[in-house]
Amino acid sequence: MKTLEEVFETWEAVIGLEIHAELTTLNTKMFCGCKLEFGAAPNTHTCPVCLGLPGALPVPNKAAIESIVLAGLATNCGIEKHSMFYRKNYMYPDMSKNFQTTQGPIAFCMRGHLDLEVDGPAAKERYRLDSLKVGESNGNITRTEDGYRAHVGITRIHMEEDAGKMVHLGGGEGRIAGAKESLVDYNRAGTPLIELVTEPDLRTPEEARLFMQKLRQIYLAIGISDCSMEEGSLRCDGNVSLRRRGTEAFGTKTELKNMNSFKNLHDGLAYEICRQAQVLEEGGVIYQETRHWDPSAKRTIVMRVKETADDYRLFPDPDLAPYDLSDEFIEGVRAKLPELPDQKAARYSATFGLSAYDARHLVDHRATASFFDECMALVQAEDEGSKFAKPLANLVINDVTAHLNANPGVQLAATPLTPARAVGLVQLVADGTISSKQAKQVFAAILDEDKDPTVIIEEKGMKQVSDTGAIEAVVDEVLVANPDKVTQYRDGKTGLMGFFVGQCMKAMRGQGNPQVINQLLAQKLQ
Amino acid sequence: MSEMFGAMGIARLKAGLAAKEFSAAEVAQGALARIAEADQQVHSFLEVTEQMALAAAAQVDKAIAAGTFGEMGILAGVPVAFKDNMNLEGTRTTCSSRMLENYVSPYTATCVEKCLQAGALPMGKLNMDEFAFGSSTETSAFGPTRNPWDLQRVPGGSSGGSAAAVAAGLVCATLGSDTGGSIRQPGAFCGVVGLKPTYGTVSRYGVVAFGSSLDQVGPFTRSVEDAALMMNVLAGRDPLDCTSQPCSADFTANLAEGVRGMRIGVVPEFMEAKGLTDEVRQKVADAIKQVEALGAQLVEIDLPHARAAMSAYYVLGPSEAFSNLARFDSVRYGYCDPGHTDLGSQYDASRAVGFGAEAKRRIMLGSYLLSAGVYDKYYYPAQQVRTLIIQDYQQAYEKVDCILTPVAPRTAFKFGEIGDPTEMYLSDMFTISINIAGNGGMSMPVGLGEASGMPVGVQLISPAFHDANMLRVAAALETVYGPAPVAPDFADGKVA
Repeated sequence: MKTLEEVFETWEAVIGLEIHAELTTLNTKMFCGCKLEFGAAPNTHTCPVCLGLPGALPVPNKAAIESIVLAGLATNCGIEKHSMFYRKNYMYPDMSKNFQTTQGPIAFCMRGHLDLEVDGPAAKERYRLDSLKVGESNGNITRTEDGYRAHVGITRIHMEEDAGKMVHLGGGEGRIAGAKESLVDYNRAGTPLIELVTEPDLRTPEEARLFMQKLRQIYLAIGISDCSMEEGSLRCDGNVSLRRRGTEAFGTKTELKNMNSFKNLHDGLAYEICRQAQVLEEGGVIYQETRHWDPSAKRTIVMRVKETADDYRLFPDPDLAPYDLSDEFIEGVRAKLPELPDQKAARYSATFGLSAYDARHLVDHRATASFFDECMALVQAEDEGSKFAKPLANLVINDVTAHLNANPGVQLAATPLTPARAVGLVQLVADGTISSKQAKQVFAAILDEDKDPTVIIEEKGMKQVSDTGAIEAVVDEVLVANPDKVTQYRDGKTGLMGFFVGQCMKAMRGQGNPQVINQLLAQKLQ
Repeated sequence: MSEMFGAMGIARLKAGLAAKEFSAAEVAQGALARIAEADQQVHSFLEVTEQMALAAAAQVDKAIAAGTFGEMGILAGVPVAFKDNMNLEGTRTTCSSRMLENYVSPYTATCVEKCLQAGALPMGKLNMDEFAFGSSTETSAFGPTRNPWDLQRVPGGSSGGSAAAVAAGLVCATLGSDTGGSIRQPGAFCGVVGLKPTYGTVSRYGVVAFGSSLDQVGPFTRSVEDAALMMNVLAGRDPLDCTSQPCSADFTANLAEGVRGMRIGVVPEFMEAKGLTDEVRQKVADAIKQVEALGAQLVEIDLPHARAAMSAYYVLGPSEAFSNLARFDSVRYGYCDPGHTDLGSQYDASRAVGFGAEAKRRIMLGSYLLSAGVYDKYYYPAQQVRTLIIQDYQQAYEKVDCILTPVAPRTAFKFGEIGDPTEMYLSDMFTISINIAGNGGMSMPVGLGEASGMPVGVQLISPAFHDANMLRVAAALETVYGPAPVAPDFADGKVA
């Protein structure tokens, strides 16, 4: 099979995403008062409504409507004031009423967009990006310094309910076919779900991955979902088709499922694009079908072939009156909109002079961004010329992120690293009390021993010596002890500087100010 | 002979309890005994809830003994019963279908709960057409109910059991549900008061849905005052039904005001309708003369789109029913055909056995009407027709306060007399447009037809959320025709 790069020489990929998010931060289900809780004993959070018992009726959860409006406002969607719930009729045991309550042609949120910054290696997937000059546009992309900006349309975000969960026992691969028993857990049935559908505006797997990442950041920032791709509270299906470069008509698309991580999303799409190219180049045809990405086998496999479009007999749900949103309601939700990741990154660059790259990495994670905000709040008054911003940003992007990555499941707020301690640490480096190398040790000690950085350097005797007199004595001792090396240095072997610095540091048990040592050695070796 | 407590009006019964003429336990036992002896003939009950009735009676007697009876609800000590599509925790709710033959309700419908809260003695669950699909109660999987006025005739439907139980004097009041005429038509056939309130007046929560946008719960009684009292119990917003509306009206407030000065609409097109029998036309014409004599002003009105109501109804009703009945799939509850190894064949076989012919007919019709390509041709135009009919009524109510029409084209027919489903559907020709528009409508008995000797009802139709209007006209008619009697063969403790 050709590589993606080779495929893109001939073919253009057209990708659209359908992204489901469970509104996990709500207390109750979409149409009943049952509690939303992941991992409870099966069928313990159920009632006549979510079990679809005869006579039960749905009542919409207003908080869920608030969440979807928040999602729409955060993704530049228009909010429809008059929308309706529809019934999507199909029979399957995980859907207790045998219809799913969803929305019809008009969803709560319509016609939005997100702009993606595609740079670094991610930008390399785009075919012949170099043919564009910086600032020049082609279709929905604009060339930037480090890559390009892609404008991705959002068709709609609609409200619906999740189905229950099925477990098939005694069959192959947990499938229903051949299973001896099938069990249903309706705890998840009726969980509020929002589905975002993009326009077919994406052209590379990287763009799809970045879109998903950006959407996840936004959903986390507005607090509507825990967005766990592993636990399935954020799920993504991809629609992919190919067309020859220079042609307009869409090819036949396949729908890709089971892309439950950013990596799987990228790799699944990349594989599927290459597979389709091979089929087409060998004179074959692409069937409209649903395919399953198998990350261990690194290939997509057919789940089912869609010979005709499914007939879901969609019609307005007569139990739910048309849902009207007032201006006050929409404005009330708008007032709850927090600073979004893009706005935050722009503020970091404008206010603290951080690079666009640093700013974007800080906002990548909500926890680290808010930690950085708290740190900056402590120092902002005295932070002339933003001298803390860059080292604090480095601390957060490098050390804090590394610690969190190494300890999955650990919440930053639950660690001994408080914003005050982070600021204290950066301050100690800034005023020369400790070296940046020592700072790494102090950082580790804060987390291990739960103490303030000043206490740690006191206890460990790590205070950096910058006193010229004390250092000069050590420098003299080292030079006297190594006359031959001094001669070699003076004969031009200047690489020996490191050796002298090391000897001085050793003699001072690492506490000498390296800048002062360097300066004195340079003077005396002249 | 048992004491006929069920034949008493609510006020009379409560006065007797308050005066300690009899106890609530005696009322419950009397009603139970009467059901046991008379319902063998009528077959209005599918389940008698003896223990619940006695327990509720004990509560009432306790209050009487403690001197707090007056603080109890409107129905304290009053025997009532419920159509079998209404959930009452611990009872079977079968909808007269094999599908739910053994389904025991784990919760109670709001309308039933309100009756219990008001102190009613729950006597049991009443027969109906399967899932309310029918106009004769002949589609019940558990055998038909007989009309107490003539056991060879149907009681009407789908709430046939609810109408017959009141007509036979077994209980003071019952609840029914009406999707296209299912309270009013059996009310007329059995000669009792049957009231379908404006859509949204009574909660539908816990009532097994047929057509969600059309279904409405209402009472059967033998007097207008009792119907108004029942409405005082039932009406109001329910947080569990988002289509229900707030209502604080006292439905008994203007019963005694008479009709002087009221404008009553008559629909010439209805009076000349094909299929309307002479005996019904004559009794309705007589009732029109009576309201005029009582001082009402008659106004001829036109409902130009009403004739399309039947077509719209047989699109909207089956479409909603198809979707509402999809949950009966044998997986979680209901009839499960044994021995199947794959889901599809279990679904098919369970539904093939569990549903009767009329239910299958409506499900298939709805499935077709909602399918791709067909939906636009039928469902959408039906909704447009609905809008036109609503406008017809709105225009009519600029000229009148209440409309008076026939309920059904004829009196109760004999079992098996109508075999063609479409002919059966015509039973609802005068009632359907009211469900389509959502207004309130009621059936008021106005004597017996000359040819058949069976009860005839007139239909009174109110503007939406002005159900008090029709009750006021009904109360005036009652001064002429008298309250509905218990069917003669069951009066005074007789058993036909």
